[in-house]
Amino acid sequence: MKLSPKLTLVLLTITMTIVIWGGASGKMNADKPNLPKTVGVWNRLEPPRIINSKNIFKYMNGAGELYLGYRFRHLEVFDYTSADQGNILVELYFMESPDDAFGLLSLDWGGEPVSFDGTSVAISNQYFMASTRALYGGGLLRLWSDCIYTRIMAERETPASKEAVLALGKAIAANTRYPPEPALVKLLPLKIDTVWKLRVARLSFFRSYLVLNSIYYLSHENILDLDLSAEAVIAPYEHIAGSGDPKRSQFLLVQYEKPERARQALNRFHDAYLPEYKKKIPADTGADSPSLFKLEDGWLAYKLIGKYIAIVFECPDPESARVILQKNESNLLKKGGGS
Amino acid sequence: MKDKGLVLTRRDFIRGTIGATLGASVFGLQWPKGEARAAATSLVTVVRDKTAMDPAKNVDIAVLKKMLVETLTGVTGQKNTKDAWLSLVKPNDVIGLVPSDHLNPTHDEVVDVVKNSLMDAGIPEDRIRDAQGPRNAKKCDALISIPGLKAHWLTGIGTVLKNYIMYSGSPSSYHQSNSSKLGEIWNLPFVKGKTKLVLVDALYPLCDKGPQPDPRYQWNYNGFIAGTDPVAVETVCLKIITEKRKVIRGEPWPLSPPPICVAAADKVYGLGTSRMEQIQIQHYGWGQELLL
Repeated sequence: MKLSPKLTLVLLTITMTIVIWGGASGKMNADKPNLPKTVGVWNRLEPPRIINSKNIFKYMNGAGELYLGYRFRHLEVFDYTSADQGNILVELYFMESPDDAFGLLSLDWGGEPVSFDGTSVAISNQYFMASTRALYGGGLLRLWSDCIYTRIMAERETPASKEAVLALGKAIAANTRYPPEPALVKLLPLKIDTVWKLRVARLSFFRSYLVLNSIYYLSHENILDLDLSAEAVIAPYEHIAGSGDPKRSQFLLVQYEKPERARQALNRFHDAYLPEYKKKIPADTGADSPSLFKLEDGWLAYKLIGKYIAIVFECPDPESARVILQKNESNLLKKGGGS
Repeated sequence: MKDKGLVLTRRDFIRGTIGATLGASVFGLQWPKGEARAAATSLVTVVRDKTAMDPAKNVDIAVLKKMLVETLTGVTGQKNTKDAWLSLVKPNDVIGLVPSDHLNPTHDEVVDVVKNSLMDAGIPEDRIRDAQGPRNAKKCDALISIPGLKAHWLTGIGTVLKNYIMYSGSPSSYHQSNSSKLGEIWNLPFVKGKTKLVLVDALYPLCDKGPQPDPRYQWNYNGFIAGTDPVAVETVCLKIITEKRKVIRGEPWPLSPPPICVAAADKVYGLGTSRMEQIQIQHYGWGQELLL
């Protein structure tokens, strides 16, 4: 039987639609962790609770601001109950991107590193790489897998509950993709000359000023104009042992959508943070030296670099502030940033 | 008049100018009451018992009862719990118990021990109620605040002052820059003057800001911290949390953001003192890692 061109087109469209939707749906299923119904003596209750940005405060009160400070899609909450061993709570935070899920893990690198595929994570000596994607402590496992940030918490920590928590973590991490860390965090040099080293265990990625304030308080107002379109990384640089004063400086790098946003944000920051100082934000900052200010807690330097703002706080002297900023700028320009 | 040019920043804390900046930028006024406050002393009791809660988090109710007796007699100076309660509340009062239910909730056992103690003092059971939430508080003549001891990621500390956040009817409006205004809730008409005792459940505090509980930052302190001055009690709680953070990290680990709601409760809202030199701490019982 010969089909008319019109009918052929209709059938082709239907077939394509099935393939595309089937593929998409298949991908979504693959992206969704397959949690076991039973783990040890714990049984999963059905169905999971689904939390979105509208009811997140009802579920977790003010803690919801943290997840809304990243690009949050929804949360699935699974309860595992047992007769006499306490419960296990599994929270899967589905985020817009792997960067957002990484950011949540990066707020605390403490705990016991856990590897689910038996291999240790390779560590770069050139730039920051997470030494682990899962951390366990006191009955709580935190895990970054692709776009999902997971918290699994045993009500009572016992050897059996730890085994169950890790088994659930392994199930969530199974067949997951391992995307790299956000590009922004890799811009920070691990060492600056022989004097400063990045304290990687204190590096955090974020987008919200509330999150920034929970790491390093700047102001109760949003003086850097941060929002979900921005990306930021903060980490201390500390003196390498034997190189003198054990002073620590705090380095902040923010990437905005456009250079104009970055310029406005730096203006606002200067007005709020340095109101008694004359502004030093030239029209074209590419080739200029950083602007330096002597404050109560040390030297502060900032620089506008295209759509980026780099700021270093609490430096012991202007030279340290200058070198930390310049080395970061040079890395940024080398890796194609700054435009 | 509010000066929009002034913004509270890290530098104000370093310079010790939070008063002026906070007053002008956040509240639109100067520190009105605090600077004029007389140097009165507030009493805060810290009662601890090593056996109050075991490492598996099982609470011993008999020990809690004993700790409550020490707390009540210590705070009021009365000889027994009945006299102590009746020096705080009237026999005909409707008494609201205000536990905290989020992040590091108050242990149910603590609430039960308080309720039973009130009943033993002659307060009828039907006059004692759960007053968490604005509607319940409105019906009460007296409030006993029983928060769990915890740090908080938006306010620095989330124990005493934050325990009444639901009374505002709009808790999320205190999440951001307005967190410094938590003290104003204590001056709402249906709240003001009703708090007769603040009894902090410090059996198993949380010293990191969260925002969700992380057991690595919880420990058996096995204590009650109490007083009639909410700001003084919060200040002592703050000291314990700050010291514990130092112990955990082995280096200063300041709360971030700084808990300015505590100083504001003192200096703007006149709810009590946040100055340690004006607080008399009376300690009873277990002394190990007191952190004070």
